Amino acid sequence: MNFWQYSSPQYFYPLAKKMAIIFFVLACILTVWGLYIGFFVAPTDFQQGESYRIIFIHVPAAWMSMIIYLVMSFWAAIGLIMNTRLSSMLAQALAPTGALMTFIALWTGAFWGRPTWGAWWVWDARLTSELILLFLYIGYMALRASIEDPRRADRASAILALVGVVNVPIIYFSVKWWNTLHQGASVSFTKSPSMATSMLTGMLVMALAFWMYSIAVSLVRVRRIIRDREANAGWLNESRGAS
Amino acid sequence: MKPRYKRLILVVVALALLTLGATFVLKAFRSNLVFFYTPTEVLAGQVPDGQAFRIGGMVQEGSVGRKEDGVTVRFEVTDTIENVPVQFIGILPDLFQEGKGVVAQGRINAEGIFLADQVLAKHDENYMPPEAAEALERARKIKMDKQ
Amino acid sequence: MFSAFLSVLRKELLLAFRQKTDVVTVLFFFLIVSSLFPLAVGPELSTLKIIGPGVIWVGALLCSLLALHRVFESDFSDGSLEHLVLSGEPLSILVIAKIAAHWLVTGLPVVIVAPLIGLQFGLPSTSLILLVGTLLLGTPVLSLIGSIGAALTLGVRGGAALTSILILPFYVPVLIFGAGAVVADLQGLSIDGHISVLLASLCISVALAPLAIASAIKIALE
Repeated sequence: MNFWQYSSPQYFYPLAKKMAIIFFVLACILTVWGLYIGFFVAPTDFQQGESYRIIFIHVPAAWMSMIIYLVMSFWAAIGLIMNTRLSSMLAQALAPTGALMTFIALWTGAFWGRPTWGAWWVWDARLTSELILLFLYIGYMALRASIEDPRRADRASAILALVGVVNVPIIYFSVKWWNTLHQGASVSFTKSPSMATSMLTGMLVMALAFWMYSIAVSLVRVRRIIRDREANAGWLNESRGAS
Repeated sequence: MKPRYKRLILVVVALALLTLGATFVLKAFRSNLVFFYTPTEVLAGQVPDGQAFRIGGMVQEGSVGRKEDGVTVRFEVTDTIENVPVQFIGILPDLFQEGKGVVAQGRINAEGIFLADQVLAKHDENYMPPEAAEALERARKIKMDKQ
Repeated sequence: MFSAFLSVLRKELLLAFRQKTDVVTVLFFFLIVSSLFPLAVGPELSTLKIIGPGVIWVGALLCSLLALHRVFESDFSDGSLEHLVLSGEPLSILVIAKIAAHWLVTGLPVVIVAPLIGLQFGLPSTSLILLVGTLLLGTPVLSLIGSIGAALTLGVRGGAALTSILILPFYVPVLIFGAGAVVADLQGLSIDGHISVLLASLCISVALAPLAIASAIKIALE
C-alpha cells in the first residue's frame, strides 16, 4: 500500500470518515474518565478550594488553542511550499476549532479569575496574548472567507498564519518575560510538576480528550471542505453512491 | 550586477538585521519590566509621585483588620523587610489570606497609607490537597525547631 | 538595485506631492481624533496626562491603517504592480521603497505633529521628546507590518476593513511598548526594555516583512 496516496483528497475522504468515528469514540471515553477524576478523585486544593477544578477544562483548552495554531500553520506552510491541496484544506478545517478552544480558555479563565484573583479580567501578558490569539484566528478565517478563489485563499491565509506564528511563542513564554499576575506554568518540561498526582492525571486525560475531539471535528470539517471544493470531480459522486 | 549576487546581498543584509534584532530581544530580557513595587522600594521613594501604581508583597500575619463601618479593610503589605499599611474599601478576593501574596493598585496618601482601588490575590504555582500543604507546614516547623 | 530602490521611492514621493490631499487628510484625521479624547474624557489634566501617550499612539496607529490600503491597491488595479514584479529587480527591495515612501508621507508627518497633541494632553517636555523617539522607531514597524495586510487583501472586496482586522492584532506589541515607554518614563521607571523591544521589532520587521509582502503580491497577481 502506498502511504502517500492519502495526501490526495480522493483517498483521504473515506479514510477521514473512519478516523473521525474512532477519534470521536476515544474523545467521549477520555472525557468521561477525565471528568470523573476531576470531580470525584482529585482532592480539593488547599488554597483555592473547589474553584481550581476549572483547570480540567481551562488548561487543556489553553494548550489546544496554541497547539492547533501551530499545527494549522504547519499544514498551511506545507500547502504553500509543496502546493498540496489537502494540506491547505486541513489548515482551513483546524481554524474554527482553534478559535473555539481559545474562546473556551478565555471564558473559563474569566470564571476562575473572579473568585481567585478578584477580577474577571486582568490585563496581564498571558491573558492579553491569548486574546490576541483569538483575534489571529478571526483574522485568518476572515481573510479566507473574503477571497473567492480557494487556491489564492489557501496561499494568502498561509502567509498570514506564518506571520502570526511569531505570536504563539510569545504567549507561552510571556509568563517568564513579564513578571505578572498570572501564575507561572504549573507543568513544565524542566522540573517536576508541582501538583498532586491525581490532579495531574485528570488534567492530562482531559488534555488527551481535547486532542481527540479536535482531531475528530477537524476530520469531519475537512470532509465537508472536500465535498465543497471537489464537487465537480467525478470520484465524489461515485464514492457517495458506494458508501 | 548578477541577480545571484543581488540575492546574496539581500540575504546577508536580512540575516544581519535578524541578528541585530535578536540581540535587542536578549537585551530586553535582561532589563527588568516592573509590574509592581515592593514595600522597600515604596519606602525608599522609588515610586512615581502622585501617580497610581501597584504594590506587591505578602499580607503581614495578624495585620488584617476592619474599621467600624465594616467595609473598610486595613492590612499591611510586607516584603519581610519593610511594611506598608494599605486601606481598601470593598470585597476582598477569596485567596486573600494572611501570609499569602497580594497585589494592590492605588496611590499613597500624605500619611503614608496606601489607598487601594483594587486588591488582587497573587497565588503561587503550587496546586496541592490540604493534607499535603499541612505536611509541608509541619516539616517546615520541625526544621525551624531544630535550628 | 539601489537605483531601482531610489527610482521607486522618487516616483512614489512625486505622486504623493502631486496629490497633497492624501497626506493632509491623514494629518487632520490624527489631529481631530486625538482632540476628541479630551472632549470625551473631560478636561482634567491629571487624567489626560495618563491617557495622553496611549491616545497619541492609538491615533498614529489608526492613521497608519487609514493610509495603508493605498500602498499597493492603485498600482495593482492599473497593472503597474505587475511591471514591478517583472522588472527583474528583487521585489522585496521595491516593496521596501514603496513602504519607505508611504512612511515618509503618512508616518513622518504624524511623528512631527505628535508633540503638539502631547501639549494638549499636558505631557511634560521630556515625555514629548520620548514620544517622538518611540514614534520614530514604531511607526515604520506599523507601516511594514500593515503592508503585509494590504498585500494580502489586494483586489479583495472590502479590503480596507479586512486589512484592519488582519493587521491590528500584530500592532499590539508595538503599541504596548511604544506607549508603555512614555508612561513608564512618566512614572520614573527604566525604559531600556521598552526601547530594546521596539528596536528589535524594527530590525526583525525590516528583515522579514518584505519577504511576506513580496510573496503575497505574487500570489495576488497569479
